[in-house]
Amino acid sequence: MTDCTETKAPRSATPPAAAWVRFLRSYGPTPNDLNLFDEYVTRAIKRAKVPPIILASPQLEKMWQRIESGTPGSILVAGTAGDGKTYHCRSLWAKCGGSTEEWSGTDPIKKLRLTDGRTAVFVKDLSEISDQVQSDEALKILEQTVLGGDDSTVLIVATNHGQILERLRDLGERQSRIHPLRKPIQDAFLLAGPYPERLAIFDLSRTARRHSLEEVIGAIAGHPEWGKCAECQRRSGGNICPIFENKERLIAADNNSSFVKRLGDLVEVSRHNGWHLPVRDLLALVANMVLGHKDAKEGLLTCHAVAKIQETGNIEHGNIYDNVFGKNLPRRRANDKQVFRALAAFGIGEETSNGSDGLLVYGADDSKLLDAFERLVKIDQIYGATDSFLAAQTHYLEGNEDARLDEGASEFLHLLGTQRRRLFFTLPENEPDYPFWEMTAFRFAGDYLELMATLAESRPIDETVRLRLAKGLNRVMTGLLLENSDRIFIASSGGFTQSRISVLCDTEVPTRRSRGVGMKICLDPRTERPSIDMALGAFFDEPVVLNLTPVRFEFLCRVAEGSLPGSFSNECLEDMLAFKAKLLRKAELFRAMPDDDDVGDVEALTLDFIEIEQNGHGFSLPITVRIKT
Amino acid sequence: MTQKIDGVDFAVDEHIWGHRLYDEQLPHLTILEFLCVLGSNIDSPLQEDADGRVQYKPQRQYRLRSLLFNNPFVEAIRAKSLSDADKWTMWNEYFSAEATGFEASDMSYLRSSFANFDDFSKVITLLRSSAFEVHSNKRWSSKFVFPFGPDALYEDLRFTSKGVSNDRRFFARTGELLYLMLCRAKGGADLGKVLVERLFDRETPMNRLVRVLQGEPQLADTFRDGGYLPLAEHPRFDRLCSDWTAILSRDMPVYDALEHLITNAGLNLLLYFLERGKEVAGDSEPIEIICEVVSYERTKVRALSGESYQANQALSFRAIRANIESVRLKEEWLKALASDDPHVECARVMSAHFQWPSTTIDDDELDAMQKTGDELVQELTEIAELRHKQHFGKIHATWSRAIGLSSRRLSRRTRYAPNDRLLKTLVVSVVEDRMQFDEFLRELRTRYGLVVGDSEGAHLVKDKLVDQEALSENRANLEARLVGLGLVRRLSDSCSFVENPFISKGEAV
Repeated sequence: MTDCTETKAPRSATPPAAAWVRFLRSYGPTPNDLNLFDEYVTRAIKRAKVPPIILASPQLEKMWQRIESGTPGSILVAGTAGDGKTYHCRSLWAKCGGSTEEWSGTDPIKKLRLTDGRTAVFVKDLSEISDQVQSDEALKILEQTVLGGDDSTVLIVATNHGQILERLRDLGERQSRIHPLRKPIQDAFLLAGPYPERLAIFDLSRTARRHSLEEVIGAIAGHPEWGKCAECQRRSGGNICPIFENKERLIAADNNSSFVKRLGDLVEVSRHNGWHLPVRDLLALVANMVLGHKDAKEGLLTCHAVAKIQETGNIEHGNIYDNVFGKNLPRRRANDKQVFRALAAFGIGEETSNGSDGLLVYGADDSKLLDAFERLVKIDQIYGATDSFLAAQTHYLEGNEDARLDEGASEFLHLLGTQRRRLFFTLPENEPDYPFWEMTAFRFAGDYLELMATLAESRPIDETVRLRLAKGLNRVMTGLLLENSDRIFIASSGGFTQSRISVLCDTEVPTRRSRGVGMKICLDPRTERPSIDMALGAFFDEPVVLNLTPVRFEFLCRVAEGSLPGSFSNECLEDMLAFKAKLLRKAELFRAMPDDDDVGDVEALTLDFIEIEQNGHGFSLPITVRIKT
Repeated sequence: MTQKIDGVDFAVDEHIWGHRLYDEQLPHLTILEFLCVLGSNIDSPLQEDADGRVQYKPQRQYRLRSLLFNNPFVEAIRAKSLSDADKWTMWNEYFSAEATGFEASDMSYLRSSFANFDDFSKVITLLRSSAFEVHSNKRWSSKFVFPFGPDALYEDLRFTSKGVSNDRRFFARTGELLYLMLCRAKGGADLGKVLVERLFDRETPMNRLVRVLQGEPQLADTFRDGGYLPLAEHPRFDRLCSDWTAILSRDMPVYDALEHLITNAGLNLLLYFLERGKEVAGDSEPIEIICEVVSYERTKVRALSGESYQANQALSFRAIRANIESVRLKEEWLKALASDDPHVECARVMSAHFQWPSTTIDDDELDAMQKTGDELVQELTEIAELRHKQHFGKIHATWSRAIGLSSRRLSRRTRYAPNDRLLKTLVVSVVEDRMQFDEFLRELRTRYGLVVGDSEGAHLVKDKLVDQEALSENRANLEARLVGLGLVRRLSDSCSFVENPFISKGEAV
C-alpha cells in the first residue's frame, strides 16, 4: 500500500477546494472519530471557513413549536450517539435566545427565562451529569412538570435511551417506589404505549431512513464549495480526480437515480431489520463514499494526496461502490461503524447470481454476452472494465499456471467482488437477465419493498408474494415439504411445538381472509412494516400477528423456494416457532369453547392427519376414533 | 432422634436433602413422577394432610404403555398387503405373544374403536413420535408417552417373569420430593389448582385419544407415602412455586409450558441441592454460578466458569462431612464421651442420628466393635462419602447437563455454559412482558445465582479473578445470543430489552 500523506505530495500549490475537502474528511470514519461531537464540528467550521453542511431538522421545528405555543410540560430528546441530540438542544437553546458563551460553559444544567415568563431548564446530555444530587434534581423537575402540574418550568433533556430509564429506576429504588415516569417512557421508546400527555418525546433514533440519506447526499454532493474544483489543476489535461469523480457519480445518480435509490433501498431494508443508522453514520458513509481510497492515509483522500494517486494510476482504488461498504478501510475500523456492519449484512460482492458472474467472467469474450458487457461494464472505464480488471480476467481465463494454484486466482476473485458491487448499484431496473437483488443475501428484498409500497398505497398485493409466503408458512408449520399455498395448516405434533415434524392439523385457514377468517397481509402502522395477520375464528377474537421484517420475509420466501442458507436460519426459526406456538395456543382456546355442532359427537374423536401426495400437495385426512362411553 | 428412613444402611444425605434426590431421575422423569402424585390428589392438589403426609396411588396403564412401547411390529404389519381383518388377526397374535399379562385378555376393543388397522397404526406412530427419549435404549417399561392429560400418566415399572414391581430405577422419589416442596411453598395450593386445570383436562383431543387405547385407568394396588423432605420451608421452594405460576400464566400452549416447567424445576432442584449443601457445610455465601456464554472466540470467562463448576461440585461432599462431624458438637455426644461406656454410648448417639450402626444391634455387639467415637465418625464419613459418590454426588453434574446449564462444548473441561433451551426458559420464567437487559441479568443473579456480566461479577473483578472487559464481553455475547433467539430487542447501542414472546395480550410476534 502506498502511503500518500499530504507532506509527501509533490505539488505544493494548495488546491482550491482543499479546505472544504479537509472539513468533509473530518466527517469520515477516521480513527479518532472527531466528528462524533457537535462541539468539534462548530469549531471546525470556523477554522475551515466554509459554509456548514446543512441538514433540515424537522424535529427541531416541532420542538420549537411546542415551546412557542406555551404547551405546559417538558421535552425529552432521546437518541443514540450520533443522532444529533446535542445539535438539537443547542439549536433550540439558540432559538430561545440563549447565548453561545453560556452554552459552552461547563455546567451541565443551564437555565433560561422564556419570553412567556416560564423558565426553560436545559440538560444537554443526561449522562454528563455525574453528580447524583444534580441528576435527581433534573428528574424531579421532569416529574413535577409532567405529572405534578408545574406550569412554570419546562425541562429540555437530551439523553440516550438506556440512561434515562436507568436513572429513573435507580431513583425509584432509592425512594422505595416504582418511578411513575419509567414505564410510560419505556413504552414510548418501544412504541408499545401512548406518550404521556405533558411529555413530548422526540426520539431522534427513529427518523433515519431513505430520505435522511438522500438529504445527506444532497447536502454533501451539492455543497457550493465544489464549485472551486473548476479551477483545480488536478482535473486539467484529462486528469481524473477520484474525489470529484465520486462526487459527480452521486450527483449524476441523483438524476438517473439507480445508485442513490438502491443505496436508499439498502438503508430502508436495514432499518426494517432493526438496524439503527444515526445521521452521523450517514454523514460518515457519504464522506467515505466520496473520499475513500485504499492507498490514502487513513483510507480517506485529501486534495493534496490526489496528485500522488494520479501519478501511480491507482484511481480505481477509490471505487465509490467499494467505499459504500468501507472496503477502503481496515476491516476493524469499518466494523466499528454501525452503518458498515449493517451494509455488510447484505453480502454484496460475495453473493452472486450465475447470470451476473457469467457476464463478468466471460462477457468480454462470449459473443452472446458481448453486447451486455459493453453496455453494463465496459462503458465505465474508471471503475468498470479497467485495464487491471481486463488483464486479470484474461489471465484467469487463459488458465495460466499460477491461476490454477491455491489462491492463484485470488486477485481476480477480489476484483470480481468489486465488479459485483459496482454492478449491483448500476444495473438498470429493467434488465431481466440480471436481477440485482439476486446479487445480495436478500434476494427477495425487492419484493419486500414493493409489498410495503403496495400496502402503503392500499393497492392489492401481488398474488405470487402472498402464495409464496403461504407456502413458506406451511413448510415451517408442518416441517413437511408441502406445496400448498391456498390454505395454511395450523399443525401440531401433539406434544411440544418445537418438534421437528407436525402432522396433526389443528385447524386450517384460507390464505386470503374471508368472513373474518384466514391470513391477511397488512401494514402495521406501529412498526411501519408489513405483517401477517392470522385469524382463526371470525369476529370474536384478536388475530395472531407476525411482524414481517425483511429477514423473516426472506426466510419464508427461501423456505418456500426450497433453499435455505444456514446463516440466518436460527433467529428466524425461533421467531416462527413462537408464532406457531401462539397460533396453537389460539387453537387450544378455541377448542375449549363450547361448539354447538359437537354436542352429539362426544362418542367420536376426529384427528386430521396431514398427508402428502406425490406432487407435494398436502391434504388433511381425518381419522375418526370411536370412544366408548 | 431423627426420622427413620426405611431401606437404607445409614441416613446422612437423606437428612440433608431428603429421601431422595436421585441423579438418574432427570428433570423430565421427576415431573412425570410428580404428575403421578398430583393425579392421585386431584381433589386437594399440592396439599399435605394434617400429619404433613402425602399419599398416592399411581396409575400403571399397562395397556397403553404396551401398545406404545412393547409393540414394535405394528408398522410392519401395516405395510403388509393383507386384508384389514388379517392385519388385526396377525397383530393380535404377535401382541399376545409379547404381552406382560397385565394388559387385558381381550384387546378387541381396539378394533371397534378404529375404522381400520392402518388408522390404529398411524395413531400409535403419532403418539410415539412425541414420547420422551423415544430413541433411547431404555427398557420399554421405562418409556413414557407425552403427558397429554390424566390418562397418559403412569409410573416407571419393571416387568419380570415373576411379575411387576416399581424398582425405583427412574422414579426414585425425586418427583415425590418436588411435590412436597410445592406443597410447602407459599402459594402452593393455588398453583395446584392451576396445574390441575391446565394439565388434567380429560377432554383434550390427545388425552381422549390416549384413553381410547388405554380404556379404564389401571392403578397400583395400594396407596403409598410420598418421600421424606426434612425441611418444612425453604426459600427455594417458594422460588420454584412462583416460577411455575409465572410460566403457567404465559400465553402459550400448555404442552409448551410443560417444557419450561421441566427445565425450571431442574434448575431450582439443582439450586436446592447446592444451597442445602452450603447451608449444612456452614457456608452462608449465596450460590454463585459463573456462566460462560459460548461464542466463536475463546473467552477468559471459561476458566473462571470451570472453577465455579468445580467448587459447586465439591459442595455436597463438604456437606456430608460437616453433617457427620456436627454430631461431635451435640450435648448428648459430650455426655456419651463422659459416660462409663463411651464406645457404646457414642455408637448409640450415632445410631440415633444416622441409623448407623444399625439400630437393631444390641449393646454387647456395639461393645464388641471396640470403636471410639472418633473412629465411628471417621468410618461413617468414609462409607457415606463412598455412597454419596455413587448417586447423590453425581446430581450436580447430571442435572446441570440435563437442563443445559453445563457443557464441555469447545473444551475438555466441564463448565457452566447455558444452552439456548435454558436461556429461553429463563426468559419465560423471569420476564413478565419486557425487562431491561441489565435488570434481567440482575434478576438471574438474585434468583438463581447466575453470573454473566460485569456488574453481577463486580466482586470477581475486584478480587482480580477476571478483568472487567472479559465479563462485559460475556454479557455482550449473551445479548447477541438472545437477539438471535428473538428474545432481545435492541433500542440502541446503550439499551436493549429482553422480551417474552408469550406476553399475554395479543402483541405481535
